[in-house]
Amino acid sequence: MTIEFRDVHASYDAATPILRGVDFTVEDGEFVAFVGTNGAGKSTTMRLINGLLKPEQGEVLVDGVPTTQLKTSELARRVGFLFQNPDSQICCGTVREELLFGFRALGCLDEQAEARVDAVIDEFGFNPDDDPFLLNRGTRQLLALASIVVLDTPVVVLDEPTTGLDYRECVKVMSIISRLHQSGTTVIMVCHDMEVVGDFAERVIVMSAGQVVAQGPTFDVLRDRATLEAASLVPPQIVDISMALGMMRPALASTPLAAANTLDQMCDAVAAAVGATYSGVRGLEEAR
Amino acid sequence: MNGFLEYVPGDSLLHRLNPVAKLVFAVLFAIACFCTGNLAFLCVMLAAGIGMAVSCGMMRQTLGLMKAVAVFSIILAVLLILTTPTGDKLVDLPWGYIGTGSLLAAFTTIVRLEAAAIPLFLTFYVTKVTDLSNSVVKVLHVPYKYAFTFASTVHFIPVFMNDMKGIMEAQTARGVEFDQGGIVNKVRLMVPLCVPLLVSSVRKTNSAAIAAEVRGFNLRTRESGYKQYPMRGADIAVVVIAIALLATAICLTALL
Ligand SMILES: Nc1ncnc2c1ncn2[C@@H]1O[C@H](COP(=O)(O)OP(=O)(O)O)[C@@H](O)[C@H]1O
Ligand SMILES: [Mg+2]
Repeated sequence: MTIEFRDVHASYDAATPILRGVDFTVEDGEFVAFVGTNGAGKSTTMRLINGLLKPEQGEVLVDGVPTTQLKTSELARRVGFLFQNPDSQICCGTVREELLFGFRALGCLDEQAEARVDAVIDEFGFNPDDDPFLLNRGTRQLLALASIVVLDTPVVVLDEPTTGLDYRECVKVMSIISRLHQSGTTVIMVCHDMEVVGDFAERVIVMSAGQVVAQGPTFDVLRDRATLEAASLVPPQIVDISMALGMMRPALASTPLAAANTLDQMCDAVAAAVGATYSGVRGLEEAR
Repeated sequence: MNGFLEYVPGDSLLHRLNPVAKLVFAVLFAIACFCTGNLAFLCVMLAAGIGMAVSCGMMRQTLGLMKAVAVFSIILAVLLILTTPTGDKLVDLPWGYIGTGSLLAAFTTIVRLEAAAIPLFLTFYVTKVTDLSNSVVKVLHVPYKYAFTFASTVHFIPVFMNDMKGIMEAQTARGVEFDQGGIVNKVRLMVPLCVPLLVSSVRKTNSAAIAAEVRGFNLRTRESGYKQYPMRGADIAVVVIAIALLATAICLTALL
């Protein structure tokens, strides 16, 4: 299912325009990350995708249909939305009820739905009878994510899914999102962590002051220093190191060292440079 | 865009008056409206309230308030029409009748509520809540604790309204249709929202209380405030006018 923005202008009250001509397309099955400073308009863009906000000018097309022609419940069947704050999303007395809520709201609670809920509870490792409000921050975020995953929408929109989580929780959230993507779901994610963006996104869209200032394959954008600086972003450390190496020594500029984007590629390049063999990060862990 | 009961900066006479004078005036003004049923007097009061709103450029907020009060007072007015059989008979009811007196009473109620509400609400739009609570501590010697409780309550109203909006959006995104069906449907859908709203409110107030506590909230006294709130000539005049209005209202009721 594709999402298309055509010259979208939007605001919360007419006096202060927030989005000023946003254009982009997300193809079916893509994993796209939105980056930019706080206040750039990323969350506003996400709200336009699921129709919580309608464009004042231009069009937002979900699967080719303008959001202005779809009811929010019809959009909810197509687009799952994870809010920046999980507490605004959680509303039921038990974890199980919380996961059933979406089916109930859409009026499609049946045996299949119940089975799906149980499967998701297993997958996430929840206790179905826990009180959602007594869970810690990370688990509440996971629950909010689970309540989106369980509905199995063709598109998921995630507003800062990893903000405020510790490393282990972050890995868990991202592995679930990654699995969703592999199963064919279109993933649109707002994220401040460039390491996460580098590890998971296929394409990056950079926003600044209500406009898209750059977009392209993840590492094309992350290696574009001028754009990143203009949007007050820093690239992932491996990208930083490899770019620094290329600039420091012109002789290295055309070697794999200066082109490495991931830990794996960097290890490969270093191993090749010192004449050793390297069998990937997993091999490294096994060797240990 | 400013929220409900949120201070709007400005430099009008009402902005510059002493917060205590504004508060005393608003309260006495409201009491005066409730002391009399004299329709002419109430209309004058209502006009005065609107005049004040115009003088400080708050007409937009005031119209919003008047609309809200109108909805509430029309419910009261309907009850009054059905339950006060006075004046010339217009319509027969199984338990009495609707008369010209009933209509007059209903209309008076609407005007009274509108008139009484305007200065009270206006006070919040032209006064920073901190100034209001600090001056009440300084001038009226109200314990800081109570002033603070009041100030935080007012401060949290827009926060809660914002929370409510966020929660409704989250539900909408999961397929709940607030805009479908009638009011009954809407209420049925809103009930589950009370839980997350209450939880987030209690969390917020609790952490605000702890934050205040660890920064020495209990050590604060009347002398801690550095800003002074002297009552000037205009402030005293405002209070005198308020007392005069109240006296007029009482006399009108007692004499007529
Ligand atoms: N509900 C709202 N009402 C009015 N203005 C808002 C609202 N939400 C966000 N804004 C404003 O819109 C701008 C963009 O916000 P947002 O889209 O949340 O940015 P981001 O998610 O990139 O940090 C900000 O200047 C913010 O103050
Ligand atoms: Mg945001």
